[in-house]
Amino acid sequence: MAHDLNKSYQFPFEPPSEEDIAFNDNAIPNRPAGVPSSYDEGGSTRWTPDAIAEVQALAQLGRYQVRGYNTFNKRLPTFDDLTFVPATMTRLPLEGYRESCNTTTILGGGTGRVEKPIELKIPVYIASMSFGALSASAKTALGYGASKVGTMTCTGEGGMLDEERQASQCLVYQMTPSRYGVDINHLRQADGFELVMGQGAKPGTGGLLLGMKVSPRVSMMRKLPEGVDQRSTVRHPDFLGADDLAVKIEELRLATDFRIPIFVKIGATRPRYDVAIAAKAGADVVVVDGAEGGTGASPELLLNHTGIPTLSAIKPAREALDECGMTGKVSLVISGGIRSGVDAAKCLALGADAVMIGNAAMIALGCNSPRYEQDYKKLGTSPGACHHCHTGLCPVGITTQDPELEKRVDIAASAERVARFLTAITMEITMLAKSCGKSSVHNLESEDLRALSLEASALTGVKMVGMDKVFAW
Amino acid sequence: MKEVEIIVGRRSIREVNEEIKAAVLSGQSVYVRETLSRHNLGVGLPASAKVRFEGSVGYYCGGLNNGAILEIERNAGWGTGEGMSDGHITINGYAGMATGASMLGGTIHIKGDSGPRCGVAMKGGTIIVEGKLGYQSGFMSHAGRIIALGGAGVSCADALWAGEVWVVGAIESLGVDTKIVEPQPEEVDSVESQLSQYGLEDSSREWQKIVSGERLWYFESREASAWLMI
Ligand code: SF4
Repeated sequence: MAHDLNKSYQFPFEPPSEEDIAFNDNAIPNRPAGVPSSYDEGGSTRWTPDAIAEVQALAQLGRYQVRGYNTFNKRLPTFDDLTFVPATMTRLPLEGYRESCNTTTILGGGTGRVEKPIELKIPVYIASMSFGALSASAKTALGYGASKVGTMTCTGEGGMLDEERQASQCLVYQMTPSRYGVDINHLRQADGFELVMGQGAKPGTGGLLLGMKVSPRVSMMRKLPEGVDQRSTVRHPDFLGADDLAVKIEELRLATDFRIPIFVKIGATRPRYDVAIAAKAGADVVVVDGAEGGTGASPELLLNHTGIPTLSAIKPAREALDECGMTGKVSLVISGGIRSGVDAAKCLALGADAVMIGNAAMIALGCNSPRYEQDYKKLGTSPGACHHCHTGLCPVGITTQDPELEKRVDIAASAERVARFLTAITMEITMLAKSCGKSSVHNLESEDLRALSLEASALTGVKMVGMDKVFAW
Repeated sequence: MKEVEIIVGRRSIREVNEEIKAAVLSGQSVYVRETLSRHNLGVGLPASAKVRFEGSVGYYCGGLNNGAILEIERNAGWGTGEGMSDGHITINGYAGMATGASMLGGTIHIKGDSGPRCGVAMKGGTIIVEGKLGYQSGFMSHAGRIIALGGAGVSCADALWAGEVWVVGAIESLGVDTKIVEPQPEEVDSVESQLSQYGLEDSSREWQKIVSGERLWYFESREASAWLMI
């Protein structure tokens, strides 16, 4: 039967009710069943709950937010995008549980300028964290822990503590632009000297220590009024460019009688150029600290949105040394978010001579451990999620200057944990190295790795799995 | 004891400094000749002997000085006496940038003008400038005193902590978070008595004492609006 298009069609039965059509028990009137409503659930890709909270916080504070720990940026490439390809037919593996693998690491020995290069038993050492950011007990425990396994620590910018000097058999003395606690008498007791040009967590900015942590002892060591918010200078007071840096390094060599190596530490931004400049200016060791590096306190935006990731900084740093003929002379140290022996081994394979750990060492000390839960709660956090180092109210006594909280650091037990952690990650490194057929951890190479993503391959120059060639354009 | 003469010329600075140090440690006075404005002369000297430098010197002369009494006959380059903890440095001419940067103690006396950022980040000691104080001098100085008798350049005493900058004459501009306060008579006496050691005392001077405005001291932890003034 032909249908007359000009005439509206009527069901041959009673029209259904709107409720029956909605088929949703009237739970949400006027909405089809199972379809989520943008009215209820939001879902703006710009105004996520985090973005809204950020605006609300800034509107209340009238300034940037400050916090400790390290970057929360979820999109950084990680070392997990690389995998080792151990020896099979083309190479011979070493017996992982039996044969030996050399881990001795020499820093500053290649330039021939230094009377006493630094010799470490393992290729990992403890990063520079200041007294001020950390409590004296935490610094001391790190020193003992490092000494036990034959590696070293670094003072950080707050000057040298007597107890730290005593605990740490090998101690690098740091000079940041603000020059807190820099004293020639301490300089003469140091085993190495580090000139800081920047740090990975917040390159292009000086340190920050909030008033809560500027205790009488910190204030005395840094010559600061007690309780002020210390914002350190970012530029060195007495040199500006590369040429001046060369004169400055010479001065420091003269002041230390050419005895100890001079380190230059940079935050990873333009490592290819910065490393070349540091090496040519006369550094014995260049330390490149990636964006995942930790800090006691920083404007949050700098943590999350400045610097380049550690993974992407190693290749250009190594190439810079190769290009200016400094490989084998100037040592390269990599740091910034290294969590394990696996990460460290990958750094070595990509071209680092040694690896520095900061946050990982703090966690071994006791950071974020599940004790004193009430105190984490008071800070609005919980063990495993704490990043409140800036408050000076560290529940485990590591990043505090409060004498009561500091007592929670059991120096002996913490030192032992640090020593065991360093031992364990060294085992992890040697296990990987031996599986790749290497009798020294320093023989690990890029060929021992494959990239699991195009991005990781492009960033590191490591061959892409499957393709067996480097992704490049 | 007789003065030892050490010639610099084109010799290695390491060698020259080792000779200066040895002489100073044995308590001898030293006259360093033919300095050719070279860098890093007399760095990190440990004892209180006298060392004179002929002519002008380059960067970091007397850097990290730990007690020696140095005199530079003419001008000095950048960072003279940087980080020094004790001793005395006289610059008879003019000084380059960052004289006494981050010094902890001792005194530096500049007869001419100072360069910019004189006494930057200093943590103790005294700097006396007979001429004009260069721009942004006393920047973030933590402690100690800068005394300038011939006025000061722009951004004077910028963002200083607990240091003091004393100026006679025109100040081109003050740095952020600073204020000029009326000095107490006993403070003026103490400054004049420091100057009297150089025959520079003059009770008729009109002093401007610059100290921190202290608004930036508690910025992050307490006072949020302070930063808006920059
Ligand atoms: S536990 Fe202490 S050291 Fe660890 S993140 Fe919290 S405040 Fe920082």
